[in-house]
Amino acid sequence: MKRIFKLLVIMLSIFLLSGCETETKDKLTMVTEAGFYPYEYYSNGEVVGVDRDIVKRIAEYLDLELEIKDVHFDSIISEVKSGKSDIGAAGISYTEERALEVDFTDNYIVSNQVIIVRNDSLINNIDEVSGKIAVQLGTTADSYLSENYPNIELIRENKFLACIEDLRQSKVDAVVMDEVPAKNIMDNTMRILEEPLFSDSYGMIVAKDNTTLLNAANAVINKMKESGEIDAILLKHLESKEETKEEVKESNNIFVKIYNRFYRSVILDGRYKFIITGFKNTLLIALGAVILGILLGTILALIRNFHDNTNKLKILNKLAKLYIDIIRGTPSTLQLMIIYYIIFGSSEVNMILVGIMAFGINSSAYVAEIIRSGLQSVDKGQIEAGYALSLNYRQVMTYIVFPQAIKNILPSLGNEFITLVKETSIGAYIGIVELTKASDIIASRTYDYFFPLILIAIIYLIITFILSQLVALMEKRLKNA
Amino acid sequence: MLKIKNLKKNFGKKKVLKGIDLTINDGDIIGIIGPSGCGKSTFLRSLNMLEVPTSGSVILDGDTIDLNDNLNDLRRKIGMVFQQFNLFNNMTVLDNIILAPVKQKLMNKTDATQEAIRLLKKIDLEDKKDNYPRELSGGQRQRIAIIRALIMKPNIMLFDEPTSALDPEMIGEVTKLMREIAKNGMTMVIVSHEMSFIKDFCTRVIFIDDGNIVEEGTPEEIFEHPKDQRVKTFLSKVKDI
Repeated sequence: MKRIFKLLVIMLSIFLLSGCETETKDKLTMVTEAGFYPYEYYSNGEVVGVDRDIVKRIAEYLDLELEIKDVHFDSIISEVKSGKSDIGAAGISYTEERALEVDFTDNYIVSNQVIIVRNDSLINNIDEVSGKIAVQLGTTADSYLSENYPNIELIRENKFLACIEDLRQSKVDAVVMDEVPAKNIMDNTMRILEEPLFSDSYGMIVAKDNTTLLNAANAVINKMKESGEIDAILLKHLESKEETKEEVKESNNIFVKIYNRFYRSVILDGRYKFIITGFKNTLLIALGAVILGILLGTILALIRNFHDNTNKLKILNKLAKLYIDIIRGTPSTLQLMIIYYIIFGSSEVNMILVGIMAFGINSSAYVAEIIRSGLQSVDKGQIEAGYALSLNYRQVMTYIVFPQAIKNILPSLGNEFITLVKETSIGAYIGIVELTKASDIIASRTYDYFFPLILIAIIYLIITFILSQLVALMEKRLKNA
Repeated sequence: MLKIKNLKKNFGKKKVLKGIDLTINDGDIIGIIGPSGCGKSTFLRSLNMLEVPTSGSVILDGDTIDLNDNLNDLRRKIGMVFQQFNLFNNMTVLDNIILAPVKQKLMNKTDATQEAIRLLKKIDLEDKKDNYPRELSGGQRQRIAIIRALIMKPNIMLFDEPTSALDPEMIGEVTKLMREIAKNGMTMVIVSHEMSFIKDFCTRVIFIDDGNIVEEGTPEEIFEHPKDQRVKTFLSKVKDI
């Protein structure tokens, strides 16, 4: 067991060090959420789309190399504000609140926000909607409806595909979203109402006072608008979608249907690569976080246990308790974002490392309390017998308390690790391509939300199953303790 | 020789020991008796600092026991046996016995194992050396706890109600072992409710009540001709049972 642990630590450090290579060429970093066809989406494992094509031109104009970061939509403004990325391009609409945080370029796209209903629906305009409406969380449709139709109940989904899924399953009466992707996912079960709800225009965002970039972006955007290039690019991306659609032959046979979904989600366009990357990153983050969580958690538990037994280390104990209370009492998403955007600020840092730190720190608070309860569960009489035999605190802990505590806490520790594995899925917020993000990326291309989700659910299940088997094996070994 | 000077112990506001003076000479076998809650266990546990005294001192062979200095050296010379045996549940019988002498570098592992087996043979439990404590009877566990203390070659041994947790038929095997150890001249301090054993076994008896030594003397003096009314009352109650 010890040897395996050592090996893992070594492998992990090699990986992390190799990720720290320094880059020499000046870059323009574009941040987006690549699940908004045709503006940004994945093809052959790379982020492509209208926004990317325009930013590419801006980068060429400035003689910089383009780098693209794919994060959660909610994180895009933080990315640009903190200087982690230079320009945000993700079909972002101008709002006054956003303009307080960052500067907007001129519009490069004017898009209509349309209402989608089921084909058999009698709804003809927004005023006839009596039930719920699904929108993508944080989009202009979301804020527009919240402000202007406060009486309509909104279902806010992370992905517009989930909105469509809600509509299909009659969980909502309508979906409000951008016209271009809406037209693209239309099938005969749904229709788009003729009158758009409102029109929306997209700009790109840069950090306040970055006038050089703002001016360059505006120059490029206006030139492309005038020459009609942007419309051409939009058309090009819409057509490329049609090509891939034809590769799969539809059929009524259930097995062929399942195979087709599998083909589209996994094989086509090399999409399995996302799953492999996601699997690798999920494992790496979970593993690193478990190790960090155990190390930190043990130190915290020892401080608290030492204080409980001897009444020494009062201040350190207070700090440890405060740390545990704060970490346990706040959402891990927030912790992840604080570590990434505030602690690491504008410095370059390996995303996996950030994930390991955030989840490791989060886990350490839980692990600390689990270990502490384990230490307390060991019979005080045996500890006294150890002292009476002239053993010191360290020896009593090492030979008597720890072996018995570990046996007592293994089930809860195993539980914590299983939770941790699944919790890594929020790494997608800052753009880590782990399993959940991988499935999002695939779904954003196939418009099939469930198949990749079920696929990664099976992978999570396999990981957690192996983990619980390992814990069971250790429990068996420690049976005598 | 163990000298106790004006030993006091408070638990919060409660005064458990109110200033105890006692000298224990080499070879003494001292029985401590008294009503429950009188402080006799606290007193015994103060002798090796499992309870840290509020004030006063414990002096072993001229060295005052200091919590931050020589505690472990002196604890090595004071063996202790507990009511609940307190064997280490995660270790075999043999590992229980050799843990402290090996870790404290009193012996190497081979010598410690040899010595442990010699002691186990004496109490007829050699065949249990690879068993875990939970597989043994209370009497067997307590005898192993005694030789676990003995292997440290202590100058003095403390017994905190060593037979109270035992089924009646197992008390004999434990007291028999204690008698054998006494034969070799071991200094002992025993807290017990086994009055007949105390009377028969000890060289001196101390009666503690309400945190003070009320009376002390030979077993005959205490049990046959007690002077203090509290001792008389206590003994009459014990005899009633």
